[in-house]
Amino acid sequence: MLTENYITASCSISDGIVFKDSQQLFENKSAELSAFLLSVYQHFQLNYPKFYKMDNLSKLGWLAAGVLLKDGFNKDNYQPEEIGIVLANANSSLDDDLKYLETVKDGPSPSLFVYTLPNIVIGEISIRNKFKGEHAFFIQDAFDAAFIEKQVSYLLDKDILRACICGWVDVLEQDYKAVLFLVEKKKSENAVLFSAENMDAIYKKI
Amino acid sequence: MISAIGNNVAEHLAAFEREEAGMGDITLFNSIHSGKLPVAEVKLDNNALAAMTGMPQATSRTALLSLVAAKEALIDAAIPGFESLRTGFVSANSVGGMDKSEDFFVEFLADNNKGKLRNIFDHECGSKTEIVADQLGITDYMTTISTACSSSANAIFYAARLIKNDIVDVVIAGGVDALTKFTLNGFNTLMILDTAFCKPFDEHREGLNLGEGAGYLVLVSDKVAKTLSKSPYCKLSGYNNSNDAYHQTASSPDGTGSYLAMKGALEKSGLQPSDIDYINLHGTGTPNNDSAEGTAIKRLFDPEYPPMSSTKSYTGHTLGASGGIEAVFSVLAIKHRIIYPNLRFETPMTDLGLLPEKRFLTDQDIKHVMSNSFGFGGNCTSLIFSAI
Repeated sequence: MLTENYITASCSISDGIVFKDSQQLFENKSAELSAFLLSVYQHFQLNYPKFYKMDNLSKLGWLAAGVLLKDGFNKDNYQPEEIGIVLANANSSLDDDLKYLETVKDGPSPSLFVYTLPNIVIGEISIRNKFKGEHAFFIQDAFDAAFIEKQVSYLLDKDILRACICGWVDVLEQDYKAVLFLVEKKKSENAVLFSAENMDAIYKKI
Repeated sequence: MISAIGNNVAEHLAAFEREEAGMGDITLFNSIHSGKLPVAEVKLDNNALAAMTGMPQATSRTALLSLVAAKEALIDAAIPGFESLRTGFVSANSVGGMDKSEDFFVEFLADNNKGKLRNIFDHECGSKTEIVADQLGITDYMTTISTACSSSANAIFYAARLIKNDIVDVVIAGGVDALTKFTLNGFNTLMILDTAFCKPFDEHREGLNLGEGAGYLVLVSDKVAKTLSKSPYCKLSGYNNSNDAYHQTASSPDGTGSYLAMKGALEKSGLQPSDIDYINLHGTGTPNNDSAEGTAIKRLFDPEYPPMSSTKSYTGHTLGASGGIEAVFSVLAIKHRIIYPNLRFETPMTDLGLLPEKRFLTDQDIKHVMSNSFGFGGNCTSLIFSAI
């Protein structure tokens, strides 16, 4: 009993530009990463003091999710357990691991230590939005749309989830890229079919 | 069970009576924290554990401790016709083979041709369970649960659900963790270790002491229970796992996760708070846990509190093993009618005023015991054991 699933929104943050549904919403190409992330946070007026405690991977993923979900996603259509998150990247939490390692000699920092796991970004997005559905974080060399499609389709087709945020969130020092897709079982205006080809098309446009 | 205060159940009971804690200096490995941080080590080195269990000396300490305790449980259970029953092993741990891997890593990093690969090929948590299951002759079901400090409590009620769903007839359930540099250094980074012996639930508590060990229960179905020659210790009458999704390593200050877990366990058992005769606290001795757990207890039990204590004041925080070890303590409390003391408690937490037991008590009428295990990531579990 396979019904179709749909990409009802997409968001990307890379090279100093924030896109939503292929529309450019914000640009700040001159800043280094931490300053850039702060400028995105301020521009979208996201108002969440915990943002300042996050490492860059969590900030990037959290911001991308924030933009992905604003205007058009109605959380109230779902139970908290019906919304999940499936992400992947190549560098795991290495960016924060390196920063943490710097502090080990003179006094290891607990506030950096708690981000030395890549799936914490999923935790931050879930806590902010009160999502309680299944989630997973995969480490892969490159964005593998077919793999993500399989994982997410399984969760939706088996009614484990009714909506899923999926995609790629990666940071290593000044290199970063986030591309997120909102996948739902209902077709909305402007939605495209959830498929590996459609995800790749959006991913490669950036 | 095996921990810093004994290598088997009888030794533990004797240590409780003597009110003797198991903390001391680090002896198992070289550490920059030697002489500064007390730990609660099992008083047997790997060679001794290997000799006891007949395993190779190079076996991971995690597997060795697990085997010692699980074997003791199985022998104690004396299940007739064990080989013909559907048997399971649900074991928890958080450290896996890290005791071997952290040594390998140092050699290997210096020279990629050094280090014995056989010490790390089975690093993951599940392989420690598999080693022990093979030794115990478990044939039908085996799994590993790893949810930090609530791990083995989760293993125990998962085992109960396997029996309830008629998947197995007998399950050995619990968990293990061995002390490693990785754990010690990691916890030190979080600044939650006490440089003195821990003082759970005390206003002046400064943190936890890391421990190690293993604790297992043997759970059986009603059908198998009828075939036993000695009566079961008690039954698992309630359980719940809840998460407060607050922070990677801290509990929410109002104790939401703990409260939901305890309340859910009571609902499952059909008991009222006033039915609980003793609470074995998670009581790690950290400012955060004890305050959150205490707040949750106040919300649930006020104004009538049962006797309560943290046995981590004896064994330290055995991490993945704590739920299992403390489940054994809970079961023994019912069987032997005892209440354990909360060592080194002096001053109640100012805004809560909870008063744990200070002395070892015997001849107590214990019908229902609640055991709490709250893990990193807000994974909170509460188990209730009841006399039959």
